[in-house]
Amino acid sequence: MEIDYNKIFTRYDLQTGEKEQPPQELSRDPGLREIIDCVVMGDIQNITEVVQKNLKTKDPLEIIYRALIPAMEHVSRLWEENIFYLPQTLNSSDAMLIGIEICEKKMGKAIEKKGVVITHTAEGDIHDLGQKIVNAQLRAQGYEVLDLGRDVPVETVIEAVKKQRPLMLTGTAGLTINMDAFQRISNLLREEGFDIPFACGGGGGVSRNYINSLEFGIFGKDAREAPKMATDARAGLTWLQIRERYNE
Amino acid sequence: MAKYTKMAYDSAEEMIFGTAKFPVKYGRDFEVGGGIVYPELVPHPRPGSEETKKSLMREYERMVNDALERAVNLGFPGIQIELEHVWQMTKNPDWGGDIAGQTRKQQEDFYQKYGLKSAIRATIADNRKPDEENIRDCKSLELALKTFESSAANGADNLSMESVGGKEISDYCIVRQDIRGVLFGIGVLGSRDMEFMWKKIVDIANKYGATPGGDTDCAQANVAMFMAGGMLDKSVPHTFAAVTRAIAAGRTLTAYEMGAKGPTKDCAYEDPIIKAITGIPISTEGKSCACAHADLQGNLIAAVCDLWSNEAVEYHDMFGGTTPAVFTEILGFDVALMNTAIALGKAKDLQEMFINSDLYRDPHSFVVAPHNAYQIGQALVANNTDYYNRARAAAVKSAQLILADGKMLLSNFEKEVLQKTLRELESFPDKESDFIDQCVNAYKKVIPGFNPANYGL
Amino acid sequence: MATVDLNSVFVRYDLKKEVIEKSVSTSKDVLLQAVITAVVDGDEDAIPGAVNAAFAAHDPMDIIKDGLVKGMAEVSRLWDEGVYFLPQTIISSDAMLAGIEICEEKMGKAMDKKGVVITHTAEGDIHDLGQKIVNALLRANGFEVVDLGKDVPVDDVISAVKKYKPVMVTGTALMTTTMTAFKKIASRLTHDHNELPFVCGGGAVSLEYVNSFDTGIWGKDAQQAPGMAEDAVSGKSWSQIREKYNG
Repeated sequence: MEIDYNKIFTRYDLQTGEKEQPPQELSRDPGLREIIDCVVMGDIQNITEVVQKNLKTKDPLEIIYRALIPAMEHVSRLWEENIFYLPQTLNSSDAMLIGIEICEKKMGKAIEKKGVVITHTAEGDIHDLGQKIVNAQLRAQGYEVLDLGRDVPVETVIEAVKKQRPLMLTGTAGLTINMDAFQRISNLLREEGFDIPFACGGGGGVSRNYINSLEFGIFGKDAREAPKMATDARAGLTWLQIRERYNE
Repeated sequence: MAKYTKMAYDSAEEMIFGTAKFPVKYGRDFEVGGGIVYPELVPHPRPGSEETKKSLMREYERMVNDALERAVNLGFPGIQIELEHVWQMTKNPDWGGDIAGQTRKQQEDFYQKYGLKSAIRATIADNRKPDEENIRDCKSLELALKTFESSAANGADNLSMESVGGKEISDYCIVRQDIRGVLFGIGVLGSRDMEFMWKKIVDIANKYGATPGGDTDCAQANVAMFMAGGMLDKSVPHTFAAVTRAIAAGRTLTAYEMGAKGPTKDCAYEDPIIKAITGIPISTEGKSCACAHADLQGNLIAAVCDLWSNEAVEYHDMFGGTTPAVFTEILGFDVALMNTAIALGKAKDLQEMFINSDLYRDPHSFVVAPHNAYQIGQALVANNTDYYNRARAAAVKSAQLILADGKMLLSNFEKEVLQKTLRELESFPDKESDFIDQCVNAYKKVIPGFNPANYGL
Repeated sequence: MATVDLNSVFVRYDLKKEVIEKSVSTSKDVLLQAVITAVVDGDEDAIPGAVNAAFAAHDPMDIIKDGLVKGMAEVSRLWDEGVYFLPQTIISSDAMLAGIEICEEKMGKAMDKKGVVITHTAEGDIHDLGQKIVNALLRANGFEVVDLGKDVPVDDVISAVKKYKPVMVTGTALMTTTMTAFKKIASRLTHDHNELPFVCGGGAVSLEYVNSFDTGIWGKDAQQAPGMAEDAVSGKSWSQIREKYNG
């Protein structure tokens, strides 16, 4: 029989609709356009070839700053507006990073990063997908990421902070029982005299309440917030100011 | 005031969830009783957040957002949010008003962005103390009325209350198993106070274009029901609490006679009787209000609902998100099942399941089952000469129905209580004025704060 | 509606435990027995006759001790065993208190109480039925109750404590957002070096919350109040009482 489903549920996801994807005025140069298309489409198969072709006529820095990065910024915007899904965004990020690597090789040195962020997944926790997404987001926005991996002992995290002096530290956890490690990290940071934002997020158990009970703790609702928080840290905001901005 | 003298429905069979004789439209494209059931989510702030207006507003902003976001994420067609006032929101009319305004903005935003249908019920706290002050002229009344105004002015669609008239008598008498006092406190005093209050509420609603919603005998019949509790509890006899519920129907009906349009208040378990009489859409709560309290009609009470509520859930984190999000999800899928039954033409089948689940679980569920609620309603309208006689008739009918159904098993003690209650009800005078005289004399002696003038007596 | 087997749907546990017959023989003296019976039956109307008749052979203190209080003890037993419900207990308590009043009149002075307990319902809360039940049970057990009523400001509780020097204070609240007053009361009392047991209960009031502040003891139901007051009179500290009931 014919059922009127409108009275049972509403497909809000269909209503948002797909919008035009291709980048419009990002660049008028046909060569750079090709690179931009590759990044936006997340085309990791062809990015190498396209970048190398362009390197024959263009400066590596021009390729990075006028094609790879603007394209990725466009992708981030599409994700923000819920037009792109996560996999599209991650593929774009991969494509961009491949492109940058090629350009850096050509230059013989790495481009200057905005700053270092240390990321890790809590001691006792092997679910690091969230962290991987954070890594990709940070890298796509020009940060150098020191990825400590998963199930990272608290001491290792502190050692890395001592060595690298990062702009920001992030922690991911899937379950509440592993969050206890965050508390110990917060304590040790204070003992060692560090004053950096410690952005934490993850599975259902990781709550704003708990994270805000920790000194330095900033609750991250989703991975998209990580680069924004790093940018704030870079601009000189204290951890408390960043917490106010995102958690109040 | 027009009193109900006949039933809105020709039979109990005709009553079903999602449809009422007189649907109510308000809010953002939101219609209650117009063919489908919607969830009504009631969030409650954490202790401490009520310290300042700023922290309480922030708490509400988060709670409401979490609920609306979950509703969209799971594709629920619409939702009503109840702002059930903590006393600070009523004591400070600007708090209640500003929270209503903030909630309206949030709902408008979700409506514009996604088309999520929505509405706001503001339930103002009744902080009057009947045994300590003149409840027809006191600061608490003045503040409550101001808060009704500020709420309506700022966008509350439905104005509701849990009025407490007669509570000083019913509190004393429920724990003494005194049916006379319960009938007096709820049936007579409660109704008289509602007549006073609801004239004012309806006037305010009309002034601002809001809808006067409804009232509930939370302060009285729910006290009896919660004290009766579960199968192991020995506080108040369950049969006594069930008869108290029938009396409450007489009282709560007064709001609709004074011009309230519904949807009714969720915690009014007498609402199936109200719907049978008035045809007004009702809000009920059952299994999915376990976050707030336990009751024995978890499924049955959904049988004729138009909104489906969680009563109240304090704001906390759970694995599945915050409590407003989680309970929006629970309620949303509860009503999705009901709406699917409607769409498949199987609503009566699902209703039969709801009813049979709990009909004989407890005398309380028994009296609010649609076919019994309908008969209690009939007794009520047939005796609607005054507040006393209609409430008494409802009480007598409920006791007779329980005793007459052999499947409604009772312990010897419970049965004795019920038989005694019925005998007492039948022994009371027929004239309301005689009953009132008798009660005023009796209860003035034992309840020092009882002031008949509070009820125009 | 079809006839259905609902055994798989619910079980009526309340019917499984049918009640024990009540036994009322607790005194060989007929006059005192009449007093006891009136209390056990909650028959307040029979109390004046029974008590006045007993004056012929007993002095008022004996009638209180061996009649009224003994009858109430029987009621408590019946309640504990699930024979009596709360209303039976409350009306018996009303009857007993009426009897005590008559005896006190005869003596020309009030009987000695075990101690004073101050009870109140939290600021912002007008739901005081729980407190009323606590009052009745405390009085039935020989305590003097100072009833501050409902919606009581913190200051009023503090000044009442100074004035009446109670053995215990109780607080009742229905809503979590009104129970926050309890913490304020506790800290004011301890600040004044007043380490009275402060029993809190009702509605949404949780053990976790009440045990989060010094002197707070969580009351699960009204029935516990007299036992806690007895402990306080016997010199137990708030932490010992908490350990006993909340530990």
